[in-house]
Amino acid sequence: MANFYPDFLNMQPPPNYVAGLGRGATGFTTRSDLGPAQELPSQESIKAAIEQRKSEIEEEEDIDPRYQDPDNEVALFATAPYDHEDEEADKIYQSVEEHLSKRRKSQREKQEQLQKEKYEKENPKVSSQFADLKRGLSTLTDEDWNNIPEPGDLTRKKRTKQPRRERFYATSDFVLASARNENQAISNFAVDTQAGTETPDMNGTKTNFVEIGAARDKVLGIKLAQASSNLTSPSTIDPKGYLTSLNSMVPKNANDLGDIRKARKLLQSVIETNPKHASGWVAAARLEEVANKLSQAQSLILKGCENCSRSEDVWLEAIRLHPAAEAKVIIANAVKKLPKSVTLWLEAEKLENQAQHKKRIIKKALEFNPTSVSLWKEAVNLEEEVDNARILLARAVELIPMSIDLWLALARLETYENAKKVLNKARQTIRTSHEVWIAAARLEEQQGNVSRVEKIMARGVSELQATGGMLQRDQWLSEAEKCETEGAVITAQAIINTCLGVGLDEEDQFDTWLDDAQSFIARKCIDCARAVFAFSLRVYPKSEKLWLRAVELEKLYGTTESVCSILEKAVESCPKAEILWLLYAKERKNVNDIAGARNILGRAFEYNSNSEEIWLAAVRIEFVNNENERARKLLARARIESGTERIWTKSISLERILDEKDRALQLLENALKIYPHYDKLYMMKGQIFEDKEQIELARDAYLAGTKVCPYSIPLWLLLAKLEEKQSVIRARVVFDRAKVKNPKNEFLWLELIKMELRAGNISQVRAALAKALQECPSSGLLWTEAIWLEPRAQRKTRATDALRKCEGNAHLLCTIARMLWLEKKADKARSWFLKAVKADQDNGDVWCWFYKYSLEAGNEDQQKEVLTSFETADPHHGYFWPSITKDIKNSRKTPQELLHLAINVL
Amino acid sequence: MSYFLPHLHSGWHVDQAILSEQERLVVIRFGRDHDEECIKQDEVLYRIAEKVVNMAVIYLVDIDEVPDFNKMYELYDRTTIMFFYRNKHMMIDLGTGNNNKINWPLEDKQEMIDIIETIFRGARKGKGLVISPKDYSTRHRY
Repeated sequence: MANFYPDFLNMQPPPNYVAGLGRGATGFTTRSDLGPAQELPSQESIKAAIEQRKSEIEEEEDIDPRYQDPDNEVALFATAPYDHEDEEADKIYQSVEEHLSKRRKSQREKQEQLQKEKYEKENPKVSSQFADLKRGLSTLTDEDWNNIPEPGDLTRKKRTKQPRRERFYATSDFVLASARNENQAISNFAVDTQAGTETPDMNGTKTNFVEIGAARDKVLGIKLAQASSNLTSPSTIDPKGYLTSLNSMVPKNANDLGDIRKARKLLQSVIETNPKHASGWVAAARLEEVANKLSQAQSLILKGCENCSRSEDVWLEAIRLHPAAEAKVIIANAVKKLPKSVTLWLEAEKLENQAQHKKRIIKKALEFNPTSVSLWKEAVNLEEEVDNARILLARAVELIPMSIDLWLALARLETYENAKKVLNKARQTIRTSHEVWIAAARLEEQQGNVSRVEKIMARGVSELQATGGMLQRDQWLSEAEKCETEGAVITAQAIINTCLGVGLDEEDQFDTWLDDAQSFIARKCIDCARAVFAFSLRVYPKSEKLWLRAVELEKLYGTTESVCSILEKAVESCPKAEILWLLYAKERKNVNDIAGARNILGRAFEYNSNSEEIWLAAVRIEFVNNENERARKLLARARIESGTERIWTKSISLERILDEKDRALQLLENALKIYPHYDKLYMMKGQIFEDKEQIELARDAYLAGTKVCPYSIPLWLLLAKLEEKQSVIRARVVFDRAKVKNPKNEFLWLELIKMELRAGNISQVRAALAKALQECPSSGLLWTEAIWLEPRAQRKTRATDALRKCEGNAHLLCTIARMLWLEKKADKARSWFLKAVKADQDNGDVWCWFYKYSLEAGNEDQQKEVLTSFETADPHHGYFWPSITKDIKNSRKTPQELLHLAINVL
Repeated sequence: MSYFLPHLHSGWHVDQAILSEQERLVVIRFGRDHDEECIKQDEVLYRIAEKVVNMAVIYLVDIDEVPDFNKMYELYDRTTIMFFYRNKHMMIDLGTGNNNKINWPLEDKQEMIDIIETIFRGARKGKGLVISPKDYSTRHRY
């Protein structure tokens, strides 16, 4: 101890040191009666000490900032020594100050006293404020003092500021007792669970929270177990549905992590409560796989395999989750455990790469599962050699006689004779199989025994009906379709022939067959459709509609010969159907077999002697082939046998075309005797006379015509034209008469206007036009004329007027297009032409103008487009177009030639 | 009193003594050197001083010579022992009701050593209050 003597003990303490201050000491108060309890050196003492130290330092340094010169003269005399004179001066100053302070001292003190009192009055001390109340406290007894209520902390500041401490409480007996009761209740109904619950300490002195928590977990587990097992209690939860719904939970992004965690927990509890439940394991493994934790999934599923070794699904899942090498080991275990599982064997076979190994596996599998069709099929597939496969199949059909596929496969591999036997055997074992019958039919077809196919099918159907293996009609049809797609056309037709009429009412079978044929055509099963037609035509040989459909089909998909053959059959069964004859003749004509066509039409006359269509067709054939004499004869016969107006007009026009005017006139005379009210005859007569330059006779003919048929506009127009050649005035009279008979007729007005124009009477034209438009405001032709009459600047306004009056009139639209074309607005013109064409497809004028425009302004594509659409539209009407088409000189021209002709005239 | 234990002659020395020791307890006996109880206490302290040299350093303070702490530490008893560790006042629950100090002459050397050891261990663990190995509640000193 002697050597311990710290060196501070030898040092002097600093002056004015406040004890304890340097180390920040804090005191304590234990008992108030132990002297004046004061914790620290008081504030005053500390301040005083500090002040004292400060002043000491100041004295040492002798610096008082109060006396410093404001102009920074500190350094002036600072270094000068403090001599005697200075001391004397200081004393003098001090005495002066003392003297000054004595002056008015009493007054000053009084003033200060007053100020102090005033200050205290304004800011009274707390104790003085409650002085009067304090006095009243003297009456209180000790009891009163004791009964003063505690104020309590209303601010709550302290409590919140304090850090929360861990608190430990003794658990109340109630909690312990209830916990015990709960666990007891649980253990009552959880007797059958594998691990029994432990009841907590019975003495209740100790609270084991771990146990309580464990008990709660157990309760949850048991509840889940109850939900998963239907045996213990009926529950509303469908465990399998629940698991599948869990399976479908695929996390799409990071937000689903929570779901995964939740699902993982749920599945964990499922697994734990019911480890023999295979789908639980599978679901858990899938979840891990989805969460990209393959290794966990693998370990889970392996555990599952241990627990549910009897479940195929678990094994399959395990194989799926493992790479091939490991999967092989797993599958080996699996087939050991479940040798009867075909899927597992097949899976094992799939895992092998070499054919040799595959075969071995399949053989082993067949040892265990000799009656598995899929295994046998696999085995046969693996066999490359036909003979081996045949042997295998033979064995297979012995073991599994009810498998149609195997029988059929065997039959396919055998020779014809053997296949027959095999199929017979198959038929005997499986009496309800339609496949065997179809296969037999196809076998015969392959061997070329076409006649037997039908027989086999018929027998098959009758036997199937007997044994009850008969298919529905639709099923048979689909079988037929399958046969056709596989190339067995005859079998397909045989099926249709035998089964088309099965189970149908007399009333709807016609429509049903038509529908069947239609659907076969839609699915491109042409032979089936043919068969349907053939069958239905056998039932309904007189149906024109069916024949037409069948012909249509042949035309689309068959050759000319097949078309002709079917038409031949058609006309034989329906000789009264003109259209069939005509079609037949046309078909012949198309292949340039004029003689054949003639022959056909000749046959047609035998059955339909009164049909003008056939007569005219025959005439047309002769005429087109320049056999004028024959045509003439035919017409002569026709006039006698049929004798309709059309035949008369045709004969007259034939004569006219052949320039035999006298003959024509003779025929006309005869015709007019029979048909005196037919205006065309008068027109023809007039025209013939005009051609012969016999104006008077022509006029007489026309006039006679107008008398008989006053409402025939063309007749009036012809008359007017004839008159115009002599004098306009007479023509006007004709027009007036025509207008009286036919008011509001645009053609009359138009011709009148044109005539006036030709005559150059512009004023007459305008007056006529105004009247015409009043009578026929919706006439496109009249408006067209009106527009062209206007000077160019005003045409547009006229056109808008016209459009308002007769919107959608093809003539008007065409006129507007032409107008735009003239103004070099080609695109706009094109769109207007298109509009016009759309408005009236049958208007030849529009087509002519459109084509002309296209030739001038359009490119080649557009021209072609116009031409093709013109041909499809095949217009017959219009104002200008008929004059081209009906011209006798153009009677042998195609529409295209006519179009070109028309353009040139325009 | 013991002349072998160092005396602290001013408040500053007391403070320095408490501040200068970093590893061990600082045990300070406040009292009057001539007091009978104090002499007994000093004797005990002197006897154990060498034994506890690794745990504690012991100083003596005459409260008449250094009255600075009398109020602060309520030094009104004839002898008072207080403990400090790294400028922290160590408290000890002796069962007497005053945990701040030993304010009676503790004449058993082993008990004194035990108390010092207990406080030292507690102090090293950062505790401010330790429990005395023996309950002194039956001994009412005042």
